[in-house]
Amino acid sequence: MILGLVLALAFIGLITVGLIALRARPDIALTVTITFFTVQLVGWLVAPMVAFGVDETVDPARFALLPIRPQTLQRGLLIASLVGYLPAANMIVLLGASVAIGVPWSVFPIAVVCALVQLITCVVLSRAASTSMAGLMSSRRGRDLGMAVGFGVFVLYMLFSATVNGGNGAGVASGSTSVASVLAWFPPGALASLPSLVASGQWGRAALAAVVALAALALAWWWWSGALQRSLTTVPSTTAGSSPAGRGREGHAVAIGVSGTARVVAGRDRLLIWRDPMRRMPWLMIAFLTVIWPFLVIQGKGAVFGVAFGALLVGAQAGNQYGVEGSGLWLHLQTISDRIRARGEVLGHAVAALVPGMIIVLVALAIQAVWRNDYDKVPAALGVSLGALLGAIATACYLSAALPYAMPQSRKSLFASSIPGQKGRTAGASLGLLGGGLVVALPAGIAAALSLTVDPVWGWVALVIGPAVGMLALWWAARLTADRYLERAPEILAIVSAGDRG
Amino acid sequence: MPDSTTNSNERSPSVMLPRYPGQQVAIDAAAGQAVALHGLTKSFGGRAAVDHIDLEVPTGSFFGLVGPNGAGKTTTLSMVTGLLRPDAGRVIVAGVDVWADPAAAKARMGVLPDGLRLFERLSGPELLGYLGRLRGIPAKVVSDRATELISVLDLADAGNKLVADYSTGMRKKITLAAAMLHSPSVLLLDEPLEAVDPVSARIIRTVLSRYTSIGGTVVFSSHVMALVEGLCSHVAVMAGGRIIASGDLASVRGSAASLDDAFMHLVGASEVDEGGLSWLGSSQA
Repeated sequence: MILGLVLALAFIGLITVGLIALRARPDIALTVTITFFTVQLVGWLVAPMVAFGVDETVDPARFALLPIRPQTLQRGLLIASLVGYLPAANMIVLLGASVAIGVPWSVFPIAVVCALVQLITCVVLSRAASTSMAGLMSSRRGRDLGMAVGFGVFVLYMLFSATVNGGNGAGVASGSTSVASVLAWFPPGALASLPSLVASGQWGRAALAAVVALAALALAWWWWSGALQRSLTTVPSTTAGSSPAGRGREGHAVAIGVSGTARVVAGRDRLLIWRDPMRRMPWLMIAFLTVIWPFLVIQGKGAVFGVAFGALLVGAQAGNQYGVEGSGLWLHLQTISDRIRARGEVLGHAVAALVPGMIIVLVALAIQAVWRNDYDKVPAALGVSLGALLGAIATACYLSAALPYAMPQSRKSLFASSIPGQKGRTAGASLGLLGGGLVVALPAGIAAALSLTVDPVWGWVALVIGPAVGMLALWWAARLTADRYLERAPEILAIVSAGDRG
Repeated sequence: MPDSTTNSNERSPSVMLPRYPGQQVAIDAAAGQAVALHGLTKSFGGRAAVDHIDLEVPTGSFFGLVGPNGAGKTTTLSMVTGLLRPDAGRVIVAGVDVWADPAAAKARMGVLPDGLRLFERLSGPELLGYLGRLRGIPAKVVSDRATELISVLDLADAGNKLVADYSTGMRKKITLAAAMLHSPSVLLLDEPLEAVDPVSARIIRTVLSRYTSIGGTVVFSSHVMALVEGLCSHVAVMAGGRIIASGDLASVRGSAASLDDAFMHLVGASEVDEGGLSWLGSSQA
């Protein structure tokens, strides 16, 4: 908590100092500030959709029964929204931005006023968006949609950072300057460019910018007011559920023996990964990361080995297999209480992660090999990746029983992954998972290193050793996990049930 | 805990595993009892939630476990169903010690817990199909039984709706269907009719009555006395983690006019007397 606060402060401080330093470069300052203002506003607009449920006051239904007039409520909510860490942090950064654009000092007061208007616009727009979405977000379909939007934001961010990393180092290029000149006509850009327009005496454009900015604020206020009235007087349709299941292939496997049980469990997991955004989104992210990560981090040859990182992440999807059910785990507890089926269940979950994981790893490897023309390193990289994949899955299985933790079942936010009081467990399980995957991949890793330094033949050795050691680890982990689960099933249920309240 | 099962053939009752001393004695003593509890105890943070209770549920009975909130009904049922480990004591269900041989015991019981989730993103038929096949029942048998349970419990209209979108009554009914799917000899139901609409409640009651009439045993908890009085052949009253009365309905009710009166007397609750709350209705502030 304290560490997080210090880091956040350092981050804010760094941005602020950076913006202040831009005062010395007025040409860049305007471009950066216009972009920053726009990104900030979009951020505030999208945030409630991605992190719904984090701020309870966002839900206007909480005020519906109190005898307060909507106008009073709206003013009160605005003031309440301006108080807090987040607006304060934004204001600090905005003040830094005003120093950057308030050139000469005579227009600095104008810049500060623009910064204030920007903050208020952000807050009002964010509130308007969250209020009009409150009904939607209290239904499950809406929350599912929120997760999809969150994934979109994540992808955009990764692509953005990929573009920046892949840039030719020319700094703020002419491209972004032309983008900024367009953005300057929109409300946040208008606010950012207003001081410089005044300073250079372009009164007509300055007046236009002021009108654009203030009109946007007024519109956002009006939108919020309307949404607030609507949400206070109408009951949101919470029955708007998800679309029906459809005639899914139920499968005809029957849980007789380990393999039968594994097939039944894996079949259900496959169905749920397809159907449940809470399970599907992490897979999309992993697929995306596994493919894009080697491009970002490793320049030049050898990027094929970067795929092993994605393989480790795939293991996380087999992780906490009891916790992911929440208190629904009781259904398994009531059905699976012998060792054979318990092993089958573990392997079923493992297979449900292994199959898509293999596909992702193979595709990512193929893309890297073709892109970098790295075909000679493919056997070694494949061996290491499969070793890491199987090792991480094996470790994940074992940790599911040894260190289970609750997962929030009401999916209030895409990013909520642990329950208060269980952060240590969650972190421990995640770290253990990466460690275990690395250990299992080590033999293949050594062979791969030899293939690069001594003789390429070692690459084929890695290709054999990696999967072999990995399968051994998985088989062993399944036995250990099943025993541990049967010993501690009621205790595991008690721990993971906490996710219902999250 | 002794090793419960070492082969896949645990559904055959003849395959019994190493027992600890005294277990057979308790099992023999429980002949004719669908459920027998001996000295069952559980405390949370030093406070006894269930305090050394003994209870016998005759085979074929419709058994109501009643008591005020916090009496220990859910804790007791969780320990009987194997979802919560007891601190001490023994639970025997259909002649099997639940905590010594959970696999055999769980094959003989059907469970409906209160306040636990289901696999929310499956539809009702998918849930039943999955659980049945997971119990090792052939797919054809599972689908026939599931179809029949769904039609009897009036869930056919829900079609392929996900369980997440079910109402409370529908959730209780699909859980009941899952509990009956493997044809257990004992049903253990925690508040099966709580917050259920009248139509669904009637259906659930009819199905349970039919189940006991063909020899099944139902144990259910409730705090609605009239319901228990109208439904049960036997009843046990719990308060403060103890059983304060148990037996057939008539003997527990005794000379009181209704089970409700008898319960108030047993629990020692006093009626709300006149007076107080005089400010109610006097002003709008």
